[in-house]
Formats: sequence, structure tokens, C-alpha cells
Amino acid sequence: MALTTARMKFYIDAKRCIECGGCEVACKNENNVPQGIARIRVVTVNEGQPGETNIAVPCMHCSKAPCVAVCPVDALYTRPDGIVHVNKETCIGCGYCLYACPFGAPQFPKGEPFGARGVMDKCTYCAGGPDEPFSEKERRFYGSNRIAEGKLPMCASVCSTKALVAGDAEEVAKVVRARAVARGSGVGAWGWETAYPTGPRL
Amino acid sequence: MAGLAQVFGFGAMTNHQNDIRNSRSVMIIGMNPAENHPISMQHILTAKEVNRAVIISVDPRFTKTSAFANIYCRLRSGTDIPFIYGLINIILANGWEDKKMVNERTYDFEALKAEVAKFDAATVADITGVSKEQLFQVAKAMADNRPGTVIWAMGGTQHSNGTAVVRTYCHLQLVLGNMGRPGGGCDVFRGHDSIQGVTDIGGGPETLPGYYGIAETAWKHWSKVWDVPYEWMLSRFKSKEMMEKPGFTVARWYEGVLLDPKELGQDTNIKAVFFMGHSTNSMSQMDRVKRALEKVELIVDFDPFVTNTAVLPDRTDGIYVMPAATNYEQWCSSTNTNRDLQWRQRVVDPVFEARTDLAILIDLAERLGFKKQFIKNMKGSWKGVPASMKEVKALPEQTIDDVLREVNMGTLSIGYIGQTPERLKRQQQWAHVFDIKTKKAVGGPVDGEQWGLPWPCWHDKHPGTSILYRTDIPVAQGGSGFRALWGPKAPDGQTMLAAEGSAPAGGPNAGYPAQKEYATDLTRGAIKEAMAEGRHPYGNGRARFNSWNIPDPVPTHREPIHSPRPDLIAKWPTYDDVKEHYRVPQPYKSMQKPEWAKQYPIVLTTGRIVELEGGSAAERADWWLVELNPEMYVEIHPKLANDHGIKNGDWVWIESPEDMDGKPSRIKVKAKVTKRVGPDTVFLPYHWGGVFEGKSLASKYPEGTAPYSVGESANTVTNYGYDRVTQMQETKTGLCRIKKA
Ligand code: SF4
Repeated sequence: MALTTARMKFYIDAKRCIECGGCEVACKNENNVPQGIARIRVVTVNEGQPGETNIAVPCMHCSKAPCVAVCPVDALYTRPDGIVHVNKETCIGCGYCLYACPFGAPQFPKGEPFGARGVMDKCTYCAGGPDEPFSEKERRFYGSNRIAEGKLPMCASVCSTKALVAGDAEEVAKVVRARAVARGSGVGAWGWETAYPTGPRL
Repeated sequence: MAGLAQVFGFGAMTNHQNDIRNSRSVMIIGMNPAENHPISMQHILTAKEVNRAVIISVDPRFTKTSAFANIYCRLRSGTDIPFIYGLINIILANGWEDKKMVNERTYDFEALKAEVAKFDAATVADITGVSKEQLFQVAKAMADNRPGTVIWAMGGTQHSNGTAVVRTYCHLQLVLGNMGRPGGGCDVFRGHDSIQGVTDIGGGPETLPGYYGIAETAWKHWSKVWDVPYEWMLSRFKSKEMMEKPGFTVARWYEGVLLDPKELGQDTNIKAVFFMGHSTNSMSQMDRVKRALEKVELIVDFDPFVTNTAVLPDRTDGIYVMPAATNYEQWCSSTNTNRDLQWRQRVVDPVFEARTDLAILIDLAERLGFKKQFIKNMKGSWKGVPASMKEVKALPEQTIDDVLREVNMGTLSIGYIGQTPERLKRQQQWAHVFDIKTKKAVGGPVDGEQWGLPWPCWHDKHPGTSILYRTDIPVAQGGSGFRALWGPKAPDGQTMLAAEGSAPAGGPNAGYPAQKEYATDLTRGAIKEAMAEGRHPYGNGRARFNSWNIPDPVPTHREPIHSPRPDLIAKWPTYDDVKEHYRVPQPYKSMQKPEWAKQYPIVLTTGRIVELEGGSAAERADWWLVELNPEMYVEIHPKLANDHGIKNGDWVWIESPEDMDGKPSRIKVKAKVTKRVGPDTVFLPYHWGGVFEGKSLASKYPEGTAPYSVGESANTVTNYGYDRVTQMQETKTGLCRIKKA
């Protein structure tokens, strides 16, 4: 166990995901996500053909999150544990983050731009939002707060094949390394370098 | 299941899902675990990553599972036997067989050799569509990478010769020496929660619990267990003959309603039908099911959701929908595909008017006048079953303890003895100490136990048998030989007992027959005696290449009843017609019409998808799942679609030869154009219901109970055809034609 503060990451193993949809359904149910919004989405390429690959895409909670950098009203912010949150009361729904995000994580409900969910919605890492943990307001605006309960995000907890791994950066890195060693090649850690670049980043 | 039982002695998966972590090759044939058993993929992918196991996927569809395979073979649906025999042929030609296994632990290898000789690679390629080169590649991969497992599901069994198909999978594993060892085995995956348990406790119409059959000895044994006089039991039946006659199966019960009683194996029609957690949209011949539901006097549909059954028939009364409690609302023990038992905790009281299964059954017994006998073994120290069950929704946990105790008492045949309520509850508390690869507990009060105490588990200190037929460990630790089920000698005089030097460790080092009366001695004295000598109660016998007591003793290829290859029908015809099978006539040859291939040239196959399960009354009523897969569809290859002028998303009609009525059945569905299927085959998921031949039945659901998604049932167009032994429906291979709607 590292003595430094935990830093949360996702590991998306493109060599393991079977597109069962467990993560998508569990996320919606846990956070009561409205229809048409997907905080995590499984994307399949080459469907039905050799090379068919599935990738589950949540918000990666990037180390130097480009969405945070472009948000004109500072509605987006990075918590000390690395989780990137949006404050829905500050968000003006401009959509800049959507263009900045390499993963397409920000979601904008169609139709009712000024409703409670009219502003940007995205994966919270099941860590609620800026409001009082477990409050009715937090639940209504952001969904559940499993992190405050000492639990992992729902998607990773239910993943059939452990393709989606969440947790403290060092623990997650151990899983990534173990799989890389076993496979002898390609880690399959989709989006890892983009979300968590090791070198300096412009 | 029947196929496994006819070869090894037990109708159950021989190893367990976690054990695939020990495999060096994994042949997945006629199944799609990535959609139907998602969690098992953890084990399969671990074998692939850590052991560099070769994953071989054999299927008419390039499934989501095939995407993870090192080798994918596109097999024409219904041609498994030629494919497997082709492999065995190559294995024998190269001397790759396990001679010790074959010589010491099997019966009539010569008969198998003679049969497989007919299937040279060229013949196999012609029948199956799998090339000579690929066949060799698979045979070599299996031979070079032992231990290997063969896993299958309904793709192997839903054929008119399904039992024979399964036997050939078993034969392949015997020849490779993959039986009775970690990482090997014949690992059929059961497709529903506790379906292995349902089979074990006598869900089939031909046996009492524990596979005792329904002859007089079986009834006497169970009457003793149930503590009721045999004569009383006999008096409940019309005659002794009917008592001992197998009943209808779920595949064809409706013929018991529709056919003239003169054609049936009983002198009246079925008058009432009680559905308990079963959907009609998973049964083939939907229009006949519909007509039966219109003709039968009484229908009861006991389910947490309103199913297809309630809306399918055109009738206004005589149909009762009763809300059942879900698994979250009741305690139970369940048996999974690994033969593992688990205790289930109730999470909430039954909601609204829902009632638990046990409450309903006891109430039913009360109303039918045999409640006293029905609950005789409920002897717990609790207050007891109420005098009147009329208003009772649920019963205390101890009633479920008593049910399991009764199972422990009577089901000696397959060792359902040591899985007591106390041990299952203790395992539930200590789940964290079990190793993921071996399923064995390390330390704690459960030290050394196998997770789930998989049967056979011979007494309350026995760890259970997580891998069947394993001779390298003693019986006390879960070792066993093949079951000596067929006596000491075959009809041809050859021995059916294992050879000297091939027996579970620590006991007599040779074959031996089953312990006398081990399955009926309720004192368990016979079992104790065998265990004390390190002998397995069910004996140490030989697995059979030749199952002399069933049709096709050595399996041979038979074209599906609806074959797209008239030329092959001539050479490999289906069975002769059968006058009576499970009380209904079962024609074969007279239904196999070579001319159909011209009118209906496309192979029709069906299966499941990950978002939905079975008849899906529950899943289609779940918004999140419906959002992911909102409507019924047919998978069509781009070539076939283009030839018919069909574009992705177009409405199409699928028409099939409706053989029993002489009129074609049809369904209207959306086209999904994809290369998953080949250009000669279309695929339909079978989960939808609530639309019949283009007409929505949604308005017939009681107010507020219609699912979010209704759609045509694949089984409206699946063809006639049933397994020669089990009567399993032939829904994996049929014929159809398509038209743009
Ligand atoms: S639960 Fe896991 S395997 Fe299933 S779709 Fe999500 S990431 Fe993929």
C-alpha cells in the first residue's frame, strides 16, 4: 500500500471486453441515468468479423484533463484523488468539453437544455458530485457516491471478465503489468497513454 | 445430459468452469459463452493469457466468443458428428490417442474405430464445410495441447440427434485422454439458474429425483423417503402402467392437447396446464402451442412477470396469471452447472401479492387434498406450516432447510448427501477462503472443502467431487472412476469394469461393481462400507463408445430433418418414424422431405443474446436492457441481403415450412445485415414474444403489465424436429426463406 494519496484510474482492457453490457446497465441503474445518456458505452469495431474488438468507454478521469482546461466557467475540476467532476450548477452547457475530450465522455441531454440534467452529464467514477455526500441533491444531480462508501465504481465491480478495472493507480498498474507479462505483448490498455501520459504534456 | 449419462454414467458437466484455468486447449462448440455465460469468459480468457491455451470456436455463426478464438471453424448447423469424427480419424491416423485411457477405462473402441473410418477429411469437408487443412489444424492443436476441455451448450443438443452429438464430444475427450483430469473434461454449460438442480431433483417426465427412473423400485424408494405408503402413492394414479409410463415433455406437451387421444399414449387429452417459471416463446411450433392454449380448459401462469403465454391464445377466460416471488424474495438452495450447491438468502419479503414457490406448491397440495403427505418431512423445530395456506405468501427459512434435508436423505444415487443446509450456510459465510482455480478452501472451518460441495458428496465430512472420474486422488478426497452403471458385463460378454491399475487412489486397484443397494439403503450403511474400503459407492466401470441400449449405439451422422442438402439426405437419412415417444407419435423419415430445400433454401438457426434471457418476460420489462437491444431482428449475411434487395433495418418476412399443419408460418422482423452468419444461414434470437405473424398482441396484456419491447417469436418459424432420445427440439437447424416486407 502506497503512503501517498490514492489516485484513481480506469484500465480498459480491449483484449478482454466481451460487450456483455453489464457495465452500461449497472451504471444506469446505480446512478439512475436518464434515457439517452450513456456515462459508459461499449464500442465494437469489426463486428462479426475476425479482429472484432470491444472497448468500454467511460470518462477516463485523465491526469491532465483537457476538459478541465477548456471549461470557460470552471465547472469542471479535478479532485485530489484524480477524479474529474462537473458542477452542474456552474455548467452553462456550452459543449467545449465535448470537443476537447478524446473519449467522447461528456453527454448532453437533448430537448431540455435548462432542466436539472440539461447541462453536461458524465461518469462521476461513482463518486457523487460537489454537494454533500449522500444528500438528496447529490443523488438527484449526480447519482450514487460509492467512493464515499469505500466501494469501487459500479461498472468495474460488475465487469464479467475484469476487462474494466478501477482503483488506485498503483493497484491498477499491477493488474496491467501482470496481464502484459502473461500475454508477452500488447497490453490492450486502451486509451491509457492518452489519459495518463507519463511524460510532460503540452 | 442424456448423452453424457449414456457414456460416463452421469448427466452432468464433468469438471467446473474455474477449472478451465488449467486447460491448454479449449474447444467451444455449439455455444457462445461471451453472450450466454459471460462470467465464464474470465476463466477462458485467463487460460488463453496465462497458459497460452488454444481457443477453438466451432459454430455456424462467428459469435462474440469466436472473436476471442485462435481458430474459428464455420460449421454447417447440424453436422457436428462428421466434424468430431473427422478429428478422431486424424488423431488415430497419427497415433495421438491416449492408449491407456482407451484400453483400461472404455468399452468397445473397435466399434468407434469402424464408424469414424467413414469420415475421411474430404467427406467431412463436403458435409460440414470445414476444410481439410482446418480440420487437421484443430486435431493437432487438441493433441499438442493437453489437457484440453470441450465445452458446449444448446448448439450441441438442440438437434434431432442431439444425444448422439453429445456422445461424440465425449468420445473425442476419451480418445484424447482428457477425462478425469484438471483442465480436461466434458464441460457442458447449463443455461439457466439451477437447471442442473432441476434435472437432479427429477424435473424430467421419465424419472423421480436422483435419476432413479419411474419403475416400481424407484417409487418404493421415494415413498419410503417421503414417508408415505407405496400403495397410497399407487392409488393416486389411474393404473400402475400409467404410474410407470414417462409423461409429456416440455417440448411437445401441446400435442397432448391437440392430437386425437387415439394417437396418444394415454386415453384422454391434457385438460389443464400450469406454467411455473417457463415461457411459451422458448418452445418451437408456436402456432400449435397457441392452438393448444386455446383448446385446453385451464391455464395457470405462475411468474413474476406476465409472459407470452398470457397473451398468445385468443381466449377470454380460463387463464389465470399468478405473481410469483423472485429469487430475491425467497430462500433457496440452488445447483449450478458445476454441480455446486449454494444457499441463497432472501433480501426482501415478497412484494405486493407475490408468493414464494414453496407456498404456492403447498397451497396447491392442500387444495388437491394431499398436503399432509406433501409436507410430511417438514419436521423442523419451528412453528410449522399453517393449517391453511390460503393467505400465506412465504414460509420461514427452516422450511427450505427441510426441503434440502429431504433431498439429502433420498438422493443417494448421485451423492446429494453431504450438502446439508448447515454446511451450505457455513460456506456462504466463508466464501472468501476458496481458491479461484481449484475451488478448494484453504483454512477456516471449511478447510479442504470444495466450493459448493459438488455432487457426489458422500457424507457430511466429504469435500465434494469438483472433477468427476478422477482416479489420481482417493474417493475420500473426491476421486472416482467411471460409473459402473451397466453391470459387470456388456451383452457381448466384454467386461464393463475398469482394468487392473485404473482405479481411484487408495482403494482396490482395479474395476469393481457398484456397492449393492448404495442408492436405496436409507441408513447409508452401504455407502459407509464402500468408503471405508476406499471404494467408490457407484463402482469403477468403463465409459462406453457403444451405448447398446439406445438408438444408434455408436453415433453416426444423420442429416437434420430439414436439411439443405437433399443429396446428403439420401446417404445419411434421419431415423425411422417412432410411434410413441413420451406419449406422442414422433415421425422422422416421413417429415424429412428433400424437396423442401428448393422451396426453403436458407438454413435457420436460433439462439440467445446477452441482454435477454429465455422468454425474457423480465428482461423486456427492464428499460435499461431494452435500451441496449430494443427490437427483434434477423441476422442476414450481406450477400444474401443484397440478393434479396434487403438493406440493413428493412422489414422482412421469414417463412418456414410448417410441417405439422401443411401451412407455412411466418414472422415479420427487422433485418440486421452482418457477416456473423454465412451467406447460407440466418440467425434469430428467440427471446421476443407479444407479436404473432405480424400482429401485435400488446393490447392483450393486463393494464400496466406489457413489457417495453414486444416482438415476433423466433419459435413461430422454427421447424418440426425432436431428439430421438430426449425429445429436445431441433431449433438449431431448420429451413426458411426470406422476403422483403
Ligand atoms: S462489463 Fe466488462 S466485459 Fe462487459 S461490456 Fe462492460 S467492460 Fe466489457
